[in-house]
Amino acid sequence: MRTLGALVAAGVALAGVPLLELPAFYESFFYLVFFWTVLATSWNILSGYSGYFSFGHGAFFGTGMYTTATLTMKAGMPFLWTLPVCAGIAALFGVAIGAVVFRAGRLRGELFALLTLAVSYVLATVILNTPIDGGPGVSLAAVAIPRLAATPPSTFYLLALAAAIVTLAVAYQVQYSPLGRGLFAIHDDEDVAEVLGVPTYRYKLAALAISCALAGVAGGIHALFVSYVTVGETFSIVVPLSVVLMSVLGGTRHWLGPAIGAALITALLYAFTASDYAVAGRAAVGLILIVVILFMPQGVLGQLLRWTARPQPKPGSGLEFTHRHAAIQDLTPLLSATGVSKAFAGVQALAGVDLVVRRGEILGLVGPNGSGKSTLINVVSGHYRADSGRVVFAGSEIERLSAHRIARLGIARTYQIPRPFAHLSVLENVTLPAMFGHAALARAEAEREAMRWLEYTGLASKALALPGELNLHQRKFLELARALAARPQLLLLDEVLSGLTPSEIDGAITLVRDIRAQGASIVFVEHVMRAVMQLADRIVVLSYGRVIAEGSPAEVMGRPAVVEAYLGKAHA
Amino acid sequence: MKHIFALLIAALVATLAQAQTVKIGSTLALTGPLSATGMIHKVAGEIYVEELNQRGGLLGRKVEWVLKDDQSRPDLARTLYEQLLTVDKVDLLIGPYATANIVAAVGVAQRYNKIIWHHTAGVPSLLKYDMQFPTGGLPADPEVSLPELVFDAVAHAPKAPKTVAIVTSKFPSVHFISVGAREVAKKRGLQEVAWLEWEFGNRDFGAIAARVKEANPDFLFIGAIGVEGLLLVDALRKIDYTPPLHFHMFPAPGPMAKSPAAQRALALTTFEQHPPFTNNPVAAAFVKTYNERAAKAGLPDNAVELQAAGSFATWQTLEAAVNGAKSIEDKALAAWLKKHPVDTIIGTLRWETPSNYMPGARLYKIKQLQDGKWLVVWPQEFTAPGAKLLAP
Amino acid sequence: MPSLALLAQSLASGIFIGALYGLLGLGLSLAWGLLGQINLAHFALALLGAYLTYQLGTAGLDPLATLAIVLPAFFVFGAALHWLFARFAVSAFNSLLVTFGLTVIIEAAIQWIWSADFRRLESHYADIRYRVGTLYIPLPELLTLALAVALSLALWAALRYTDFGKALRASAEDASMAQAFGVNAKALALLLSGISAALAGVAGLCIALSYTLAPSQIYAWVGVVFAVVMLGGLGSALGPLIAGIVIGVSEALTMAFTAPSWAPLVSFSLLIALLLLRPEKI
Repeated sequence: MRTLGALVAAGVALAGVPLLELPAFYESFFYLVFFWTVLATSWNILSGYSGYFSFGHGAFFGTGMYTTATLTMKAGMPFLWTLPVCAGIAALFGVAIGAVVFRAGRLRGELFALLTLAVSYVLATVILNTPIDGGPGVSLAAVAIPRLAATPPSTFYLLALAAAIVTLAVAYQVQYSPLGRGLFAIHDDEDVAEVLGVPTYRYKLAALAISCALAGVAGGIHALFVSYVTVGETFSIVVPLSVVLMSVLGGTRHWLGPAIGAALITALLYAFTASDYAVAGRAAVGLILIVVILFMPQGVLGQLLRWTARPQPKPGSGLEFTHRHAAIQDLTPLLSATGVSKAFAGVQALAGVDLVVRRGEILGLVGPNGSGKSTLINVVSGHYRADSGRVVFAGSEIERLSAHRIARLGIARTYQIPRPFAHLSVLENVTLPAMFGHAALARAEAEREAMRWLEYTGLASKALALPGELNLHQRKFLELARALAARPQLLLLDEVLSGLTPSEIDGAITLVRDIRAQGASIVFVEHVMRAVMQLADRIVVLSYGRVIAEGSPAEVMGRPAVVEAYLGKAHA
Repeated sequence: MKHIFALLIAALVATLAQAQTVKIGSTLALTGPLSATGMIHKVAGEIYVEELNQRGGLLGRKVEWVLKDDQSRPDLARTLYEQLLTVDKVDLLIGPYATANIVAAVGVAQRYNKIIWHHTAGVPSLLKYDMQFPTGGLPADPEVSLPELVFDAVAHAPKAPKTVAIVTSKFPSVHFISVGAREVAKKRGLQEVAWLEWEFGNRDFGAIAARVKEANPDFLFIGAIGVEGLLLVDALRKIDYTPPLHFHMFPAPGPMAKSPAAQRALALTTFEQHPPFTNNPVAAAFVKTYNERAAKAGLPDNAVELQAAGSFATWQTLEAAVNGAKSIEDKALAAWLKKHPVDTIIGTLRWETPSNYMPGARLYKIKQLQDGKWLVVWPQEFTAPGAKLLAP
Repeated sequence: MPSLALLAQSLASGIFIGALYGLLGLGLSLAWGLLGQINLAHFALALLGAYLTYQLGTAGLDPLATLAIVLPAFFVFGAALHWLFARFAVSAFNSLLVTFGLTVIIEAAIQWIWSADFRRLESHYADIRYRVGTLYIPLPELLTLALAVALSLALWAALRYTDFGKALRASAEDASMAQAFGVNAKALALLLSGISAALAGVAGLCIALSYTLAPSQIYAWVGVVFAVVMLGGLGSALGPLIAGIVIGVSEALTMAFTAPSWAPLVSFSLLIALLLLRPEKI
């Protein structure tokens, strides 16, 4: 909150600059800095935070330019009224695109960049060939500039300043809100984020809408600033390229990063405008950019933040756990799967699985490699959608639900090969599911909850480290802590013991028992037979995507069919 | 005490010397897509300012040209003109190169009630300010006057064309003239066999060339700027088609000169470095100096034509106005110009129309590329000695 | 309705320019997909190559022969660039910024040496054309197509069938794992980066043969070639060529049928449709 206050105060202070009656050039220069701040920061809200690199920011900027140009010149609308319309139309345009594109799950990375670039070209061509522009460009010379200040340059200064302050405030708010947390998680691993409860589709749309709206406003203001709008200038490669460069230069993981990049690059642009060395000046600009990014790979702001000392982790609060769920062991069905099938390009991973998990039990899911154990976990948790069959959890049918809703209902899982969010600290990794999972806590409480689970799994001292600094054992336990922080009713553990030493395995077994004692029901996939025999109340054996046996561990593991599935037929 | 006195005197002298200089401010596209032509204006301007100072400057005061690089960007041009006025505190303004940048500069001039001369703004309707003075000779109605001139010229070809194909880019300063050309052609009874528009920046002219060849016009009117026209006639040549007559609106003259496909191309000009233009001693001297300086600046094409001459005419106008009004005050200069035509190397400029542009295209001529040289072929009075419009 | 001759010529024209897009995109795609380098300077290099071809060609050297000088020089440049990236552990997006800086420097250098004025190589190549029925096939364009196809196929085959290619792809997928198997990832990366830059030189030759040059031309190709590279699949050798031809042909055919200024609408809408309906691409 303090930061927002400081931001507003800075805005108010800067608003007083026109009163100094500096030469108009400085006001126009700052106009450009603020203008690029809005464009770069708005781009960053989507592309920097979530990693969905957009190459089409020019399309939304252009939408704003031409909306204002058309409304003022063809409909006679007063200029200031056009700005909210710009925001609205640009946001609508963005959401329309996002609604389609984000549904196509495989359009990530460079494909999203390509798509947004293509949208720019399409929009430019449409505008060029229709009466919106048609070729000659649109002149706004006749449009009255609002009298917000004594002179037009001052007016533009104030308009852009207001837009920049609003944009920065929005970027700040987003960064520290659940939306921002979700976006950063999406950046690192979208599928895992979804499974942990982040409503990825909705969040991406929200970020896109915000990004487009702000770009639209910047475009609207700029149309009047340049007073002559042409397709060539509006939709050139300058805007989409510059916003990337500015954000990367300043730092894409921080709300203030793009603003710093915008200021630096705009200043560089003006540093070398003397005619005598115009060409050499350009070369110097290029050189400066190279040197800066080579030595500050996190961006200027990112690097500066890195170099300032890291605070120490808070010691644990020492509070005891309160058991959220009573340790119900009434053995009523919690999860039941009927006829679940899933095929991948010719391989039938699951061929009609029938399975029941009872409340309060520890169910072992075993079977030879390729029998479908992980696939079943993926289907139940919503990571994959089943081809057919029914899955009912705590009274609700979940086979058609998106993964984040399933997480909300109370299912959590770990991954066999740990998939932590690489750019988030250990604490942030665990805080996320506490916010988005079944527990659905507010941020501050979620953080405290996360610390508790880190202490529980022995990772408290590593709270502020990045996952890359942990060894395998610690990463496995991070997976576990993440799953537990959501306070699930049903916990799916996918080979959580693989790769651990015997003593580590013993510790893990104790942990799992304790977790059940606190009220969670557990399904765990395992190859370490010792653990299965010790922990499981019941086991289910899968082979070739089907259940071939079910019952108590000792009894089931002795059955010939099961032995055969694992070891092959005995020869007489 | 003596030292302080000396310092004060020195400071006073320096200030007076500064106050003596007349500062003229402009920007030009010295880098970026427009810089090919921007450089021409830089060289021309430097030559003029140097000679002007040798003549005693303006009203006895030395002239300093404060030039900045607007990197071909209108938003930069705008802020740099504000810098020129409010920080560098120049006395007079000359505009940058090309329409969009000039529009931005004129906007600034208008806010500060400064007079501004410019040479290359191609869309008169965009400039609604009474103290902007175009000096390139462009007519107030280019979409009518220029096509009329062109069609006049080709009507006097050995075989007057009956069919015309009008193809154009959608670049603003070119497109509206091409649209006007359609009207003019219709009025003159020419049959339009093709009308094609492409987006500025198009790279592939194969299909367009094929369509032109199929239409087989007597006269091909190409609304092209820069090298677009050359790309088109190149594409035509590659499919074995040579248009009998072809006109290019605002081509870059250099690259066309040596290209076999571009031979016999017609274009607009206000000046070429041959008689009768060079009969004017001022023009002849400029041509000589410019040829040398441009070569030294590394420009491959160092001939004086419409761009360089237009720039020279701008400076001539400025000097005439200052000497005529005996002042560097904007309103006085503007008033003087509205009442007095100025003789320049491109002809007599006048600012009588509401937009201050020329009444009609009387300063424009048609030139043709013949054997690698651009020669004026229309109207008769300005035709190069012994030359005429060549057509099959 | 356009005549068959017109359609055929337009189709050919689209294939030719598509081949140039593909050739330009080839080096970019390989470096991006296999080395994680988003090399904006690829375009500046291509244009520099074009200027060098112009310079040497105007001095009397056969344009094709200029490759003898351009290719090795660019190869060294490309390897050096990768060495720089490796030394500073530059990430993909940071490489965009670094290469943008390089682009600006190269553009300034070009303008310094050759001025901003247009330059045009007048070579006898432009005079030669072949006729197949009513179809004209000019030599520069044919050369571009031939080079694009040959190089794409050669690289595709190399990546798929040779040890070098397999080692490269393994390296790209998981460098540490590949190294554990004895692959010299560093040397391979330098080699690939050099090849990528040399490809830019070849593209430059083709540009010089068909187009007029100006320093700002660098940016004219960025948008469409990035689209081609992304559509064709990063790290693919055949992808850029196919994608380039798809875009080139769709634009050329549009220009044959309607007002040419609609061309980008068709090509990029087609691209969007392809992405939405079949994101696995080619």
